[in-house]
Amino acid sequence: MATLRRAQQLVRDAQVAIEEASRVVGESAGPASEARLVAAEAEREELTNRLAEVEHQVGRLMTLYVATYQLHATLDQVEVQSTIAEIALNLVGAEQFVLLLVDDEDQGYEVRLIHGEPDTPWVLSQRYTGGDFLVDSALADGGLRFGPTEQSPALAVVPLRVQDVTVGALVIFKLLAHKPAFVKEDHDLLDLLGAHAASAIFASRVYSKTARKLRTLESLIRLVNKG
Amino acid sequence: MGAQLLGEESVNTVKNRKVLIVEDSRLIHKMYEVMLRPITLVSAFDGRDGLDKLSQSPDVDFIILDINMPRMTGLEFLAQLKATPALAQIPVIIVSTEGKEEDVARGLQNGAAAYLRKPFQREDLLKVVNRIESKQPAA
Repeated sequence: MATLRRAQQLVRDAQVAIEEASRVVGESAGPASEARLVAAEAEREELTNRLAEVEHQVGRLMTLYVATYQLHATLDQVEVQSTIAEIALNLVGAEQFVLLLVDDEDQGYEVRLIHGEPDTPWVLSQRYTGGDFLVDSALADGGLRFGPTEQSPALAVVPLRVQDVTVGALVIFKLLAHKPAFVKEDHDLLDLLGAHAASAIFASRVYSKTARKLRTLESLIRLVNKG
Repeated sequence: MGAQLLGEESVNTVKNRKVLIVEDSRLIHKMYEVMLRPITLVSAFDGRDGLDKLSQSPDVDFIILDINMPRMTGLEFLAQLKATPALAQIPVIIVSTEGKEEDVARGLQNGAAAYLRKPFQREDLLKVVNRIESKQPAA
């Protein structure tokens, strides 16, 4: 913010310099004064453009901050999944997407969240057992993938990885009608989502298991005390 | 003429304003809190909640409204607002994922002052806020 205020001050200083140059030109309209005025104008233009770029970056950082903040604002599994969906819809502009999460029991992937009714067969079966090239490769090596390709209808597959373990993936099939394609900012956001959504899901699962064990222990203690 | 100055400078011009946010996503509430700081925000999570908050704080300067919400949608909220003479003049900015031309036209026909499609950049939001603000009497 201090940098931003400094940049704004520089633009204001340039404006003052232009006014001063204009005054000088008015008093002695020679070629040298004209050149000074043109140079000051160019400087102001450049500073204004740089300030606009800095403000754009500030906006991007704000978006990334809010996404991270909200993902880690809860330990409730359902709320974490709901936040992932909100990010996909509101910040990325995804219209059709699914969230796959690893099944602790058989290490397969179950469809935990569907948005926008994608008509891909494996989505309807509520379980992913492999077969989509982009999803398979993203789950295998943890790398972000963009499509569609001949072997996959997915526009993007965001693997959710924590400590080198893939806990799931967000698979985006369609963007909102007014969003023709992913933009540069989306890559940062999807990258962040891959890491932070994974750790938020992991933390909420650990918390849920611990809370369940605690309740069991408390019940046992109550029974023992009664006996 | 180069790029228009937005950001801090434009937020500072509206910092004494009070804005009602009617939006069911906590994520987007947080986004407004960060992007519009230091403007005072009143938060509501659906249309009905928005009307309740308006009855408690009728002095809001403008409203940022989502469309798809439980209990009462944004368009239902807008209809009720426009039917209440004491509140009808409050400018409403619709911010929604519903971005087809007909959605925008419907929102504006129902009395919204501006329509912004999600996802949005901070500068897009500030441009719309500035446009609304420039039509408002001075704070």
